Amino acid sequence: MADASRDVTVPRRVWADEDVHRRELVRIFKTCWQFVAHESEIPEPGDYVTRRIGRDSVIVTRDETGQVRVLLNTCRHRGVPLCRADRGNTSHFRCSYHGWTYANTGELRGVTFQRDVYGKGGIDKSQLGLFQPAQVDSIYGLVFATWDPEAPSLADYLGPMRWYLHTVFGKFDHGLEVVGPPVRTMVRANWKAEGENLSGDGYHTFVTHQSAVELGLFATQHDLAEMAEVTGTRFTGRTVHCGNGHTMRIQRMPLQVKAPAYFGYPKEMWDEFDRNLSEAQREAQSCLSVGHGSVFPNMSFLENFKTNVDKKGDHARYIRITLRYPMGPAMTEQLWFLLQPRHADADWLRLSRLAYLRTNGPAGMFEVDDTENFVGITEAAAGTVAADLPVVLEGGLHHPPTPEEAGWPGDVADGDRTEKTIRAFHGRWQELMA
Amino acid sequence: MTTATQRPTPAPPQVQAEAALFLAVEAELIDDRRYAEWLDVVTDDFTYTVPVPVTPDNPFAPHHDPEALLLDESKDSIRHLWFRRLEADMHEFAWGENPPPQLRHFVTNVRAYLTGDPDELAVRSNVLVVGRRQSDQPKYLSAERFDTLRRGAAGLLLARRHAVLDQTVIDFPQPRVLL
Ligand code: FES
Ligand SMILES: [Fe+2]
Repeated sequence: MADASRDVTVPRRVWADEDVHRRELVRIFKTCWQFVAHESEIPEPGDYVTRRIGRDSVIVTRDETGQVRVLLNTCRHRGVPLCRADRGNTSHFRCSYHGWTYANTGELRGVTFQRDVYGKGGIDKSQLGLFQPAQVDSIYGLVFATWDPEAPSLADYLGPMRWYLHTVFGKFDHGLEVVGPPVRTMVRANWKAEGENLSGDGYHTFVTHQSAVELGLFATQHDLAEMAEVTGTRFTGRTVHCGNGHTMRIQRMPLQVKAPAYFGYPKEMWDEFDRNLSEAQREAQSCLSVGHGSVFPNMSFLENFKTNVDKKGDHARYIRITLRYPMGPAMTEQLWFLLQPRHADADWLRLSRLAYLRTNGPAGMFEVDDTENFVGITEAAAGTVAADLPVVLEGGLHHPPTPEEAGWPGDVADGDRTEKTIRAFHGRWQELMA
Repeated sequence: MTTATQRPTPAPPQVQAEAALFLAVEAELIDDRRYAEWLDVVTDDFTYTVPVPVTPDNPFAPHHDPEALLLDESKDSIRHLWFRRLEADMHEFAWGENPPPQLRHFVTNVRAYLTGDPDELAVRSNVLVVGRRQSDQPKYLSAERFDTLRRGAAGLLLARRHAVLDQTVIDFPQPRVLL
């Protein structure tokens, strides 16, 4: 695949303009597949969580037959929301206004005082089930939905991204589960500011996160020497555009190892990774420093190896999902999910949680520094002169394509100090907004 | 949850006053950014936790998940990962805290209870934290704190703080804050 987005230009108004925002809600959030929940959040029939697709509130629930349903959270009668909590369990949703009752399949079951209100024949309940997305599907427990009946299947939409999702989410014998409810934060930034960063910005790390580096949260030469006999000094990386704006960045620690080494996970788990990953995928996971990417438009995942997170020598990996809801041109609600492997060792789970919370958790050091950039980009773009200025997106144009023998699907380049994935993100955005 | 039959015993008035003064001074050290002094009033095994807020459907469930944490810190992690980077040689690139966010704690409803350990008090208090990022209008975080104060040779020390937020969607400039 060639770098289709090499000439993309972005005027800064896209970060602060009210009209652009309203258009996005229709062109992007009403058409694209979007992540809504992880199946582990609703393990039992009747379990539900409330989420958003764009600005619309939806209920994600498991019906009595075990099927995952996504239901627009508004009564078909006159519009009152059915669920007011973030999560719960119920087989039926009863509206608080006039009492219409829906099964958790979305079907309208009961209309109060039906004869009085609608006459002898009643009202045609079969036409008045809760409104539902045109398509709902899941992969590795990640549930996605789209309002667009014409949208390609989820598998086709993700394309080569599935291969990378497998390296992160598909390598565990017993799968992953979300720990607790997601943390919800409201950030005064446009959703694309963090979105483009998480698409694969390996350029900002050593500047924005300089204090994290100096405080030992990034593997130091000392840490590296403890992990392998032969070490280098330069972290290497690759960036990928999987098509449709889905991107990935993988950075590797400079370690020479004889067999794939999944530092940050308990040794007992390494065998299952070997079994569940292909040779090229093992290569993508071995000596991983950080792997992160985005499913366009608003879901990102991060698998990160962090060092010295509690005491010296306490290293662990963790997996995080973040989801961004556009609440206004300069306002984003972000959801933060920690995912952990089932049946893992309790001490390691604790360490993995600390590695997450203290670095890339909602209150972690990395986020404090990242957020300042995202809020700043948004504030500056509100200026009349600034709004018309482009941003410079040429980073990494000269990076060589990764040889095909590596076996990594998509448009892959060697080098992660780049704007490759950011061009891909905006390129896809522009296609949809045109 | 405490039922009527197991209601904890309030500490005597003099100890109440002592606990309230301790918490006021402890807050002063944070608001003044006298971090080294703050570390002196917490025990070496100090832990700081904040559970994840959530709006439950069950009217008898709390508005947070006791199993899931938003903050999970120790004295060491706060010293190394919070305060160290605010020292003169590193502050320049603590980008998100430069200029430093200004915090103001309002501590009220302090209730000190006796525990099974004569050296420890279980102290509940309400706190309103006002935070200002740069020249923005201030934002607010309200919480209830469940502290353990331990008496040592040097007087009372803060041994544990568990703070439960009153907000489901957090809009504070940054939630990395000592409540
Ligand atoms: S609005 Fe729901 S029953 Fe009337
Ligand atoms: Fe970052």
